[in-house]
Amino acid sequence: MPAYEFPGGIYPPERKERSNQAPLRTAPLPDVVTLMLSQHTGKAALPCVNVGDAVNTGTLVAHRDGMVSANVHASISGTVIEITDSAIVVQGDGEDRWATLPPLDWQTAERDALLERLDESGLIGLGGAGFPTYIKAQVNEHHAIDTLVVNAAECEPYITADDLTLRHYAADVLEGAQLLARLCGAAHIIVGIEDNKPEAIQALQALLTVSADSELLASVTLKMIETRYPSGGERQLIKKLLNREVPSGGLPADIGVLCHNPGTLLAALQAVRDGQQLVARVVTLTGDAITQPGNYWVRVGTSVDTLLEHVGVAREQLHQVVVGGPMMGAPLTSLEAPVTKTTNCLIAATKEELPPAPAEAPCIRCGACESVCPAQLLPQQLHWYARAENDAALEAHHLFDCIECGACSFVCPSAIPLVQDYRSSKQRIRHKRIETAKAEHAKHRFEFRQARLAREEAEKKARRQARLAQQQSASSDATGIQTAPAADLRSLRIAQTAAKAAVRKAEKVLARAAAQDPQQHHDDLETQLATAQENLKAAEARLAEARAASEQKEAP
Amino acid sequence: MGEPFSWGSVLSAVGVLTGLGITFGALLGMASARFKGEENPLVEKIDALLPQTQCGQCGYPGCRPYAEAINQGDAINKCPPGGEATIHALADLLGRDPAPLDGEAASEETVAYIREAECIGCTKCIQACPVDAIIGAAKQMHTVIEDECTGCDLCVAPCPVDCIDMLPRRKPLTQWEPIVSDRQPLRSANASL
Repeated sequence: MPAYEFPGGIYPPERKERSNQAPLRTAPLPDVVTLMLSQHTGKAALPCVNVGDAVNTGTLVAHRDGMVSANVHASISGTVIEITDSAIVVQGDGEDRWATLPPLDWQTAERDALLERLDESGLIGLGGAGFPTYIKAQVNEHHAIDTLVVNAAECEPYITADDLTLRHYAADVLEGAQLLARLCGAAHIIVGIEDNKPEAIQALQALLTVSADSELLASVTLKMIETRYPSGGERQLIKKLLNREVPSGGLPADIGVLCHNPGTLLAALQAVRDGQQLVARVVTLTGDAITQPGNYWVRVGTSVDTLLEHVGVAREQLHQVVVGGPMMGAPLTSLEAPVTKTTNCLIAATKEELPPAPAEAPCIRCGACESVCPAQLLPQQLHWYARAENDAALEAHHLFDCIECGACSFVCPSAIPLVQDYRSSKQRIRHKRIETAKAEHAKHRFEFRQARLAREEAEKKARRQARLAQQQSASSDATGIQTAPAADLRSLRIAQTAAKAAVRKAEKVLARAAAQDPQQHHDDLETQLATAQENLKAAEARLAEARAASEQKEAP
Repeated sequence: MGEPFSWGSVLSAVGVLTGLGITFGALLGMASARFKGEENPLVEKIDALLPQTQCGQCGYPGCRPYAEAINQGDAINKCPPGGEATIHALADLLGRDPAPLDGEAASEETVAYIREAECIGCTKCIQACPVDAIIGAAKQMHTVIEDECTGCDLCVAPCPVDCIDMLPRRKPLTQWEPIVSDRQPLRSANASL
């Protein structure tokens, strides 16, 4: 199979040899774990234990809140000692008693049982974004999926967690890929791996030649690609492997592809086959300030400080600790921070290794950023607009297609922190959208209230009119009482018809939205419908009142 | 020599032009009746820029009436919840000069909170709330739906026992501005000039 090319890209120093020499080891069991409630994309999980409760390894401590969220489990056995707004702290007893779920056979088990297991186990994408896996596995309900891509490119410098996972668990990763391919109905599995991981490639090749006769592994293709950053971005990898382009603002599922990280596939298999919840992951511990760099199985919630202590950190040389890779990662502000499900790498760097960026200079319009942008954006234009906070122009220049890979900042001769500008601009725009949605919501509620008050007023009037009419017809002295001013029946009838049409329109809009997105709540549309209904009732009441008044006038 | 003058050609020209005028006039008239906008589009645009707190600090009963007043020529600096940002957005939209805010800008977002032990169940705050964010009934305790409250503090004044506080609103983690460090960890060796 030929490899295709994605635009742009850079060749940063790899620095992977520091952590890929040693075999995969297990970090010691921590005494205390801090389990963050929001380790994933979406809403934070809701705690379901109390302080003082005894928990085992794998006990559910916080359950998911809504669709896009994930369960959180205790990663050691012991006692819950603290619950804050953002985390649950468990004091370990050192025994590591497990509370596993019953094992399932993925080839024979029901699809729903497998999905439920992925959900129960708190599985999320371990590559970095942390999207709940059980939702991703159900995507074929809306999109036909033909290919599952195992994203083993691992293009960021320093990180070797997927490399080591594949060396040690190649068979399990492929089995996990088959499990997820079955769930999403993908016929093909493609493993995309950069050619700087010969040992992992060898492990996979050995496996694929040994069991080439087996029907299961016949669907798997191994594809080596040139080492170039950011080939591990899912859009770039799909372009490289399949020559398909994910549309702007779309997802790989739109073009029939799903991407999974090897670590996620291994965890999915362990959740199904062994009933193990997601409580540990492989973390690359590297950097010049560490004496025993390498990859470790780390329990989720272990503090970074404890981990660094274990691998021998030279504190006097330590300049900064970066979570994630050097390109897309962020420096830690406190070593107390815990490892989360999405922590794939910790770099304890010395000052010489990752020196602070020089002072920013003005843009010289050299265009280097544009030639390396893998998303084919115009980083320079985006830079001007981001600094000017010109949000409309930013969106018109497809800011939201930026994958924040950092290639532009890497090559910028003026040391402009371009990608940081884009990140904060994105966040600012998202914030603005939330504010606008909130204002819109308040407006609908206000309008509903106005309509309700108007309806109540109109009904009150109509009742009074009806009462008057009754009294009048009962008493012979009809001419004494003069009632409301002559109402224009015709315009009231028009108003009533218009209100009816508005109700029908609101109903239609709501029905269309509900058909498109049945799982979402459409509170605002429902409020709008209710407002239209109130308006109709008010119009009807006014009409009734006017009719009563005109009859009254005709009567004498 | 030109064509000889004839009344026939003059009449036909006048006739054709009159016919065209009548036809296009009728077409325009029909189009304006058929595609008539329901309301003033400028008012909609102004309304969209207002924060929709419905607080009435501008002197109008809600954001929409204020939008209508602005369209009639009222000042654009009467909205404290919107602050400077709203004034600038309105100035851009209407081509007017931005004026300094008339009143104190809100320092932070607030939400009403009823001290429930002290509530006597008078329903006065419920009647005052412009967005129906307070629930309760006569002689029953009232409470505020936090997500619906716009922080307009219209409920504070009517309360006869002063049991409503305006508290700073808790923001969910997802709505924080990101902490962006000024350090880019790894840079190209040949990037420095």
